[in-house]
Amino acid sequence: MRDFEWTLKGRCYKLGDDVPHADGVIPARFITQRETDPAVLAEHLFAMTDPGFAQRCRPGDIVVAGRNFGVGQKSTGYIGMQALGLGLLCESMPAQGYRGAINAGLRVLAPCTGIDAFCAHGEDLEVDFQTGRVVNHTRQTMMQAPALPDALRELVACGGNDAWLANWWKQGQR
Amino acid sequence: MGYTAIEKVLARVSGRTSVRAGEVVYPDPDLVMVHDGLVQQSKSVLDGIGIDRLAQPAKVMFVSDHDVLYGNARAAERGAFNRRAARDWRVGAFFDVGEGGHGHIFPLEDGRVLPGMFYFDNDTHATNAGAVGAFGMRVGAEISRVLATGTTWVEVPKTVRLELRGAAGYGVHGRDIGFYFAARVKDRTMQVSMDARVLEYAGDLEQFSLGERVALCSTPTEIRAAGIFVPPSDAVLAHCRRHANVPFDAVYSDVDATYEASVALQLDQLGPQVALPGSVSNAVDVAQAAGTRIDHAFIGSCGSGMYEDLLCAASMLKGRKVATGVRLFVVPGSQRSLRRLSDDGLMPLFLDAGAIILPPGCGPCNDAVVGPLADGETSISTAASNITGRFGSREARLFLGNPLTVAASAVAGAIADPRALALDEALYARRSAAYA
Repeated sequence: MRDFEWTLKGRCYKLGDDVPHADGVIPARFITQRETDPAVLAEHLFAMTDPGFAQRCRPGDIVVAGRNFGVGQKSTGYIGMQALGLGLLCESMPAQGYRGAINAGLRVLAPCTGIDAFCAHGEDLEVDFQTGRVVNHTRQTMMQAPALPDALRELVACGGNDAWLANWWKQGQR
Repeated sequence: MGYTAIEKVLARVSGRTSVRAGEVVYPDPDLVMVHDGLVQQSKSVLDGIGIDRLAQPAKVMFVSDHDVLYGNARAAERGAFNRRAARDWRVGAFFDVGEGGHGHIFPLEDGRVLPGMFYFDNDTHATNAGAVGAFGMRVGAEISRVLATGTTWVEVPKTVRLELRGAAGYGVHGRDIGFYFAARVKDRTMQVSMDARVLEYAGDLEQFSLGERVALCSTPTEIRAAGIFVPPSDAVLAHCRRHANVPFDAVYSDVDATYEASVALQLDQLGPQVALPGSVSNAVDVAQAAGTRIDHAFIGSCGSGMYEDLLCAASMLKGRKVATGVRLFVVPGSQRSLRRLSDDGLMPLFLDAGAIILPPGCGPCNDAVVGPLADGETSISTAASNITGRFGSREARLFLGNPLTVAASAVAGAIADPRALALDEALYARRSAAYA
């Protein structure tokens, strides 16, 4: 896991409370079609609320959301978020969504209580997902969030469930 | 301090003497259930990596419930794929279409899911296992990891205790209790979160037979509970012993177990509930929705697919006709129940009423692969969920009620309070002995 980049540095992309997964994070049709291609999902991330987001964002940018982020049973959009090299911090998200984000290999801190007040749209953030340390370079402030749990780091570092599984199989074949 | 039921069960399957809520464990499940809709995706993932065998194929059970009629070529192809996969992977049990029935129903009836058990399932309503004091846990697409490695990570859930006090009134069912509870969580009368929690029922539970306990599991799951636990009664244990092929040990929470929260609900004043379109949490007294014209009604689903639910419907439909312009779909939860309808002489009663009997499975509740609605139509059903678009059209209105309410509404042609209609008391009374 040494090669994996646990720290992301980029701009804050701010969202409010109760953003639904379907039509909020990703258009609902990709969920019903069971689309899993990272390239397709990346292209349409936040397409309903912010057309062109995928073209404007840069790897390392941090999506900062409020309470109850990505509500809904599915978590298809996190595959696209991971593919774009983004990180995710939110006040809270449903456990199934969190599980989906981890399984997509997304660097995520949730719950990240107080993050909403800590930063504004467009500010420069630096997040160490291994320690939970979040720095706001624009404001020159720092906060501490609960780190990504030890037990889940290998899964994220591998790139999510399918990549972890491939790695597990390769190790066993040796 | 003592332990909750989920802590005890997860300790056993994780090979630990004890675990506490919040710990991450890797359970060795008693069973792995995969529904027809996710076999292909799971196998594609494993085949893509080159994984050609399952960790514990004998524990794996495939069920066919989400799409059993194959309304298009793609569904037929999926069925063929699933049959090949069951063979190639040598899974321990394969229930093809026309066998078993709904995966969240028939294993409770035939002793495959037993008190104290733990299993992984790709599907959310595995929480039905709580009706016999077992735990089925949804892992979604991660079922591929469970199939390949035998396990995946589980954070031991916190438990919220819900005490039911008093006796449920006439015409009030497990589903009504669930709808009412969801509404009180939404309006913050009950300040609890169900997200990833186990909901444990307590209090006056003796009145609830197996089918009612299944109904109690449904709605809390829709508001995100990771598990439901109804401490098994003597009657439930007797049912399980009659059908079990393996020994089992019922598990109960210790009296000094640590709960995240404890809330109580008085049943005496509760009447039948109707969930208004959009969410199970939009529950109101049936009077507030009564008179709403309907086009479509459906009795079945994982929440109301037990034989007791069919007896409810039968007791209301006997000697009556489904209203002109209304289509009523009745979906038994299992092949066993379908056979019983025939053996018990109830089938003619449904046919005489003009009900449409569909094969056991999810019925319209799975993305409307059967029995969808047109734009502008209105439905009342016992489906697990009434989110917009659940039955196809996003311009349709979906109400939920208990099986008696739905049957009464189908007859009236509009949402109706079941207490206002006389029913066949002898048939209705047979519910208590449905699994005795």
